[in-house]
Amino acid sequence: MVETAGAALEAIGIVKRFGTLVAVDGVDLELARGEIHALCGENGAGKSTLARILAGALAPSAGRVASDGPVGLVHQHFELVDRLRVWENVVLGREPRRGLRLDAAAARERVRSLAREYALDVDPDAVVESLPVGIAQRVEILRELAREPSTLVLDEPTAVLAPREIDALFATLRSLAARGAAIMVITHKLQEVISHANRVTVMRGGRVVLRAATAETSLDAIARAMVGGDVPALATRRAVTPHAAFAARDLRAGDGAHALRGASFEVRGGEIVGIAGVEGNGQSALCDAIAGVVPYAGEMTLDGEPLRGNPGARTAAGVRTIPQDRQREALVLPWSIARNVALGDHTRPPLRRGWSLDRQACDALATEIVRRFDVRAASIRTSVAALSGGNQQKVVVGRALAHEPRVVIAYQPTRGIDVGAASLVQSRLIEARNAGAAVLLVSFELDELLAVADRILVLYRGAIAGEFVREGFDRARIGALMAGAA
Amino acid sequence: MSRRNAAIFAAVLLAIAAGAMALAGANPLAGFAALLRGALGGERQLSETLVQTTALLFPSLAVAFAFRAGLFNIGAEGQLIVGGLFAGLAGAALVAPGWIAIPVILLAGAAGGAIWGGIAGALRARFGGNEVIATLMLNIVAALLANYLVVGPFHAPAATGPETAELPVSSWLPVLIPGTRLTISLLLALALAGALSFMFARTVFGYALQAAGEAPQAAARAGIDLRRTALVALTLSGAIAGFGGATLVAGVLHRFNVALSPGYGFIAIAVALVGGLDPLWIVLAAFAFGILQSGSLTMQALAHVPKDVVGFVEGLAILGLSARRIANPREESA
Amino acid sequence: MAELLDFFQLALVKATPLIFAALAGVICERSGILNIALEGGLTVGAFTGAAVSFETGNPLLGLIAGMLAGALLCGLLGVAATRFGVDQIVAGIGLNMLAAGATAFAVVVLFGAPGATPEVHALGSAGETALIAVAVVAALALQLGFDRTPWGLRLRACGENPQAVLSAGLDPRRIRVLATLAGGAIAGLGGVFLSLGELDLYSDGMTAGRGFIALAAVIFGRWTPLGAAGAALAFGALSALQFVLQRSGVPSELMQALPYLAALAALTGIVGKARAPAADGVSL
Repeated sequence: MVETAGAALEAIGIVKRFGTLVAVDGVDLELARGEIHALCGENGAGKSTLARILAGALAPSAGRVASDGPVGLVHQHFELVDRLRVWENVVLGREPRRGLRLDAAAARERVRSLAREYALDVDPDAVVESLPVGIAQRVEILRELAREPSTLVLDEPTAVLAPREIDALFATLRSLAARGAAIMVITHKLQEVISHANRVTVMRGGRVVLRAATAETSLDAIARAMVGGDVPALATRRAVTPHAAFAARDLRAGDGAHALRGASFEVRGGEIVGIAGVEGNGQSALCDAIAGVVPYAGEMTLDGEPLRGNPGARTAAGVRTIPQDRQREALVLPWSIARNVALGDHTRPPLRRGWSLDRQACDALATEIVRRFDVRAASIRTSVAALSGGNQQKVVVGRALAHEPRVVIAYQPTRGIDVGAASLVQSRLIEARNAGAAVLLVSFELDELLAVADRILVLYRGAIAGEFVREGFDRARIGALMAGAA
Repeated sequence: MSRRNAAIFAAVLLAIAAGAMALAGANPLAGFAALLRGALGGERQLSETLVQTTALLFPSLAVAFAFRAGLFNIGAEGQLIVGGLFAGLAGAALVAPGWIAIPVILLAGAAGGAIWGGIAGALRARFGGNEVIATLMLNIVAALLANYLVVGPFHAPAATGPETAELPVSSWLPVLIPGTRLTISLLLALALAGALSFMFARTVFGYALQAAGEAPQAAARAGIDLRRTALVALTLSGAIAGFGGATLVAGVLHRFNVALSPGYGFIAIAVALVGGLDPLWIVLAAFAFGILQSGSLTMQALAHVPKDVVGFVEGLAILGLSARRIANPREESA
Repeated sequence: MAELLDFFQLALVKATPLIFAALAGVICERSGILNIALEGGLTVGAFTGAAVSFETGNPLLGLIAGMLAGALLCGLLGVAATRFGVDQIVAGIGLNMLAAGATAFAVVVLFGAPGATPEVHALGSAGETALIAVAVVAALALQLGFDRTPWGLRLRACGENPQAVLSAGLDPRRIRVLATLAGGAIAGLGGVFLSLGELDLYSDGMTAGRGFIALAAVIFGRWTPLGAAGAALAFGALSALQFVLQRSGVPSELMQALPYLAALAALTGIVGKARAPAADGVSL
């Protein structure tokens, strides 16, 4: 217990090492009662690690955290038990009891009163797996609020929300702060920092590189502090005459809240079509249907020919994907780079020779990808598990673009990688477009789409809610459509 | 496991075994000496150890084959028994020259094992049924089936035990060293280990199989059909174990008996893990476990250490080796 | 009528160790530990019960010792799975072999001859009946405990998402270890029923795959205590039927195989799809 006037939480000299890696390298931080404090930084800057240390979920290697009450942590990937009810999730670990029994009535009432108090409307008896992601986040927040925290830390809480929901979330946070709690929001969306936070701390390489009141700094200054210099420039988009390439008609896939409910569109060769939308509006189903890994209804054509068959046949036809989860859906982690680059092309020449894999051809391809994509690895024999996230993604993108693809489906290709790698990936996608490929880019970062896409389609509840060409990009209008505005 | 940890682990196992021997009132040194003498003390002993090595090698390769594809085949025991059963029935019924009969008997064994493994594979492929539970259940069903058939319909008229009629001498596997039970099945097992090693390292089939095992989702996106892989891998794994059962019938017992296997299919899991799922290392591991199998009776007779200490130590070995990751968390069962 | 009563009684006797083992399986699996070592738990419980009863002349002490032995064996799995991140299935197989080897070894060392212990003081028919009642009551009590108590909620959460349990301020490792200890004790009690309830000695292999039938019962019972106990009761009845049908020409092996075949059928989902706990078998 520290009775520093106004400070809800104070962290001094926090260091966290994982083996030889220093994730957090001597951070001091003070959170004041009543403030919303933004913590910014690139992936790998140490933000999430710091958050877990502040919340007591992780012990620091050195330094200490003093707090005048519990610290709640709202995780980026909600830590809820999907098959339990809302009230069960909220009271887990602090169950109201009557004798030996769990007092379910009291628990439900507790959830209802909390929900009323903070205007976070949710049905206590709903099973979590049936809830849309925005509501599930409320459950996670309620669970933390039930502990009456003096500090609430939220890790990337807006990543899964539409602009309108984001405003509602910050309204809730502001009212919490007004009651004397300290709020820390980890985010990489700088616009949010400027509009909603009182103060901002920027981390890079495990250290604090900027502390400022948001009123006294600028978006540009924060961005430069995060990257440690200027943001790298993208490849130039060349004028290409677009030609018909990929078309989908009334495409339907998946079920439940995240289904794709009838999308018709085309992606021409030589253009990048961005899919804007909040996560969970059918993007996964869309990409998976095109890749052929889920059942779907509707038609797809490639250069006028029907596109069908299993994922292997589609790859062979020139439809290349950069999946959502590179570690599970794209790479075989224990394998070397050279062995990974063959995945998906192992059934055909030039990588296949007779019954065997042509090792020399694999090595040559891997060497080429490592060179062109600046993959930082000891050698092509290095296991991809040993690479950083950014370098893993470079291997995945390199493989997808290596065989002159006709269609490229990229799902959040820059998620979770550093700015340098992200810029390289975006540039290579633009170059693929310049070379005539039809590129479909799904991103939850509107800024990325505005920078890279030739056209933007807004996906809302599994259907296309609007279309914008580059000359007519309208951030406000796109944001409104993402949130379901008619 | 690093070399150092492996050494520590082996030392701990030896110490526990020594402790158990002492507990049994025996001198541990005498126990180990008797074990080694029984396994390696002469041409007869060494050949018998190689018989046990061979018997372990087939199911161990079968287990490793499935594990490498990310499939938990813990049913090598049942597949071996059904393979032996098929081989025994075919062998007893077949009157033909050896060069016809022997391949037919061995293939019948492989077919039996393939069916038994294939059931688990089909359950997994068609319904997503957990192959651990399936192979576990099939082990017991195999034993019951074998028992029913050789006590009932196929019981050899002259036999006292639960066994089929003896194979004609011409159908016996050729012996490598006259006067021993060591047959060409050892060479077949070694050839199989070599072939599997090549398959995993070089071929497209092995590549796809291991991709499915290590990263099923990435494999599926690369056009590798996971259902088909499950069916094929468990069927072939079963075929290998069943082939092994057939070599025991045609090479060692010369008939099928319900006591064909003293748990080779389970010990095989330890062998496969000790060998790091690498076919060539598995050969060495099988030899080590072969020593335990063949020396244990001598140890019991000479040093008065109950042979069951071997099973106990093998169990400990499996427990200790379970820290190695095998497969990805599986799809749910029924 | 009397024959029918006899049949029911026999079915209950045959079902009781299965119920204990199945309940043990449910507890472990709902916490996230796929416990293949139930068979080993039965084995060490049966052996230890008989051995301690032989040494002390007191079958109740045997019962307690048997439960402890089961808890120890399965607890080993819990510790291995939560502290050393082992593969639960491989570890479970190892524990089964260890249990079989250690008991066979101990029979020789302690009693001088391989195969079986001498006859020991058993629990008697009153004790047998009491244990049958305990099995039924335990199933009911566990069901209530799962649905209505904080511990039940925590256990269920642990088998679904241990990470969420951790962020709720609880220790999922501890919950899992406790679950394997409790489950192991119950499996051990099932073993004690075999050696000191139904019989009055331990013999090698007397568990005869009941631990595996219990795994089948867990699936059939959709991972609920009452469901699993119900399935175990049905399998026990099948086993009793085998004695009734002995002379009717139905092969006894077929009757013995029915629970296993039923488990295989359950894997096809024809008995209705039920989902295993999401984190069942996933080590921490």
